[in-house]
Amino acid sequence: MSFFNPVFAFVFVPLVVVIYNLFPKKLRAFILLAISLLFFAFISKWLILYLVLSIVSIYMSGIGMQKLEEKKKEVLKTVEKDEKKAVKESYKKKRKFVLVLCIIFNVAFLFMFKYFNFFAVNLNLLMNYFKVGHQITIVKHIAPIGISFYTLEALSYVLDIYYGKIEADKNIFRVALYLAFFPQLLEGPIARYQDTANSLYEGNKVTFESFTWGYQRILYGFAKKLIIADRLNIIVKSVFEDWGRYNGFTIFVGIMSYTIMLYMEFSGTIDIVIGIGEMFGVKVPENFRQPFFAKNVSDFWTRWHISLGLWFKDYIFYPVSLSKSMKSLTGKAKKRLGNHYGPLVSGSVALLCVWLLNGLWHGAGWHYIFFGLYHFFMILMGNIFEPSVAKACEKLKIDRKKKGYRIFQSIKTTLLVFFGELFFRAPSMAVAFAMIARMFDAVSFSMSELMTFGMDSRDYVVLMLGMVGMFIMSVVREKGIDVRENISRKNIWIRWAIYYGLILLLLIFGAYGQGYVPVDPIYADF
Amino acid sequence: MKKALKGIVFVLILCMLVEGISVILLPLDKVKKYGLYKTSAYEIVAEEEDSVDVIFLGDSLVYSSISPMEIWDGYGYTCYDCAQPAQIMPYAYDYLEVAIESQHPKMVFIEANIMFRDPDKLPFYKKIAYRIENYVPIVKYHSNWKKYFTKNKNSWLNVNKGYIYITGVKPSKKDPLNYMDINDENEAYILPENRECFDDMIKLCEENDIKLVLLAVPSQKSWSRSKYNMVKEYAAEKNVDFIDFNIDHDLGIDWSTETKDRGNHLNYWGARKVSDYLGSYMEETGILTDHREDEKYKSWNTAYGIYKNNLKKR
Repeated sequence: MSFFNPVFAFVFVPLVVVIYNLFPKKLRAFILLAISLLFFAFISKWLILYLVLSIVSIYMSGIGMQKLEEKKKEVLKTVEKDEKKAVKESYKKKRKFVLVLCIIFNVAFLFMFKYFNFFAVNLNLLMNYFKVGHQITIVKHIAPIGISFYTLEALSYVLDIYYGKIEADKNIFRVALYLAFFPQLLEGPIARYQDTANSLYEGNKVTFESFTWGYQRILYGFAKKLIIADRLNIIVKSVFEDWGRYNGFTIFVGIMSYTIMLYMEFSGTIDIVIGIGEMFGVKVPENFRQPFFAKNVSDFWTRWHISLGLWFKDYIFYPVSLSKSMKSLTGKAKKRLGNHYGPLVSGSVALLCVWLLNGLWHGAGWHYIFFGLYHFFMILMGNIFEPSVAKACEKLKIDRKKKGYRIFQSIKTTLLVFFGELFFRAPSMAVAFAMIARMFDAVSFSMSELMTFGMDSRDYVVLMLGMVGMFIMSVVREKGIDVRENISRKNIWIRWAIYYGLILLLLIFGAYGQGYVPVDPIYADF
Repeated sequence: MKKALKGIVFVLILCMLVEGISVILLPLDKVKKYGLYKTSAYEIVAEEEDSVDVIFLGDSLVYSSISPMEIWDGYGYTCYDCAQPAQIMPYAYDYLEVAIESQHPKMVFIEANIMFRDPDKLPFYKKIAYRIENYVPIVKYHSNWKKYFTKNKNSWLNVNKGYIYITGVKPSKKDPLNYMDINDENEAYILPENRECFDDMIKLCEENDIKLVLLAVPSQKSWSRSKYNMVKEYAAEKNVDFIDFNIDHDLGIDWSTETKDRGNHLNYWGARKVSDYLGSYMEETGILTDHREDEKYKSWNTAYGIYKNNLKKR
């Protein structure tokens, strides 16, 4: 199921809105929850059981931790001052036990569906190597849709309770709706409980304004997918399936096209999710912020799949880098390496954990792990060489704040990301390296091969114009201008002319129907 | 109320714009003559009048297995795949009726698999989608905008003549020798309404002096021995030729390289074999003329040039 299926966007969503509005405010949250669960069951059938188990587990753990916290406060009132520390420690341990149990319970499902076979295959290889007679049986699983996304949401809920950022919700339906809200099930974004739960549960009426406002965002997502991503898909499929046939320039175009296609498809899907959220009065967090304008790889990951980056930052990076052992490591490293490189040591350990897990989150495969390590290495290099680059720029009298330097930074970062994403798309690391080697071996700037993919020159013109349009939109958004807000202030005829123009552009120049192969929802597989 | 009215006006204007643009994406003279719906729903309407010799009716098995341009290249007969996904007999009859408004075909082939499809079981949403698609031709013909940016005078030509070109390969795992028996889980049965519809087709063909032929293209999934037996008997009863490529005529289909989806549909390489056989069958009947040197059919040579060129690109 893709959100770009017209039946979903233009039949299912309006139908949900009508049904939702028909009910009184008090019941709307339940209707939305029922629809979300039905939507999940429609795609994943009986695997809905795992979603329900996740909901129940985080709800119970949350309540459990909350009760322990309340009990601790009560006990603290009754004990002497010198006993307070021990009581606090004792309750902290109990809360931690509940938290760890809940994490293990949820991660176990994720491991079983996504990672078991990967570890089993590699363990079997190891056992073969060491001539151990035992072999682990490989089991074929179909994972519940969006398990990687909703598991992270589930964990964030219990972790936030543990860290005292939020209070446990006593209403299981609100918790369920937070985890199961249908637009977020497929590709996220990974929202936090405090972002969406309350507004989802409020049951705000879908008004004419919120409905049309949401659809404007949905159409923008469709434009990214149908005009750009689905055309780039033709190039990507041809190059990645038969890369040995093509010259270096064509392979580079294929690699570049993949990252842009991924961005257009994924951010387009998120536009649809945010648009649907806006209809129901829910502010789903943004997941992209002009990533190709990033000044370095680290900055890129604060602009691309933001919700995942923030999740890893809050629940992996900080806990690891602020742990007792890391703090002591930082102290020692500071003495030996100074104030810049010293803290970098513990930061790098935390960063390594983040990127190993980030790679694994995307998929169970060595190329995904390499993808993670590649970004870790690039960010680490950036951190290490930052003082030297700053010094060199000062000596060469290069103003790092000037536009020219910023453009250079963005191009450099984008190129680095293109190659990182190559490892993401290639079927194996060996193929990715072979493609890079071929790119430099078969150096040629002949563009004639681009015309052999089944896209004619007119398709390329539409593709280029589409990308120029998106680039302009990105520049405008980077400047903090809200395009929709601006359009909404124009008079009705200008507004309508823009909407009609966009709809007709989509209908006419969209790459759908015979001769085009739509991109499958890429992130829905993770 | 005011907002609802605003919404209705917005949608109405949008519908008008979409329909207006639909017209310019189709050949205007045909729209004027046959109307928007017919020009959109039945692609053959866009062909030059009285230019098509042979019509193929059926479902996806037709547009994946028979390439009219291959038959043109080998034999010089003008053929057209009037096929629709999951076509049902009443739709095939409608297509034939519309086709003979502008064409005088000498032969009509019906892919027999559609005789086993229950017209009442076609889901209602598919029926609605089919109607919408044809009332809103912009969805189906949106790529025709390109025709305004080409120097080719024959830009409105459908170069594939209804055929859908597929080169993908997904090898079949079924035994190439006994797949017909494996598929015999249910006894094949031609529904009375389909028999009735077929009788109407026979009548229509007789009235228009058209030779009607039943056909079963190679398919490891859609065809079976019981379907074969049923159609063979039925064709004999109706005195109609029946060509079967699963039992009677072995085309030597390599099911490891010539199918796009594990044995259900053929890809381009399989379609070439079917098309070639059908061309030779048509030649044997002696009722068709080779038009390759005929100046009146110049556009077919042009279409073949584009078709060949497109093949090279892929």
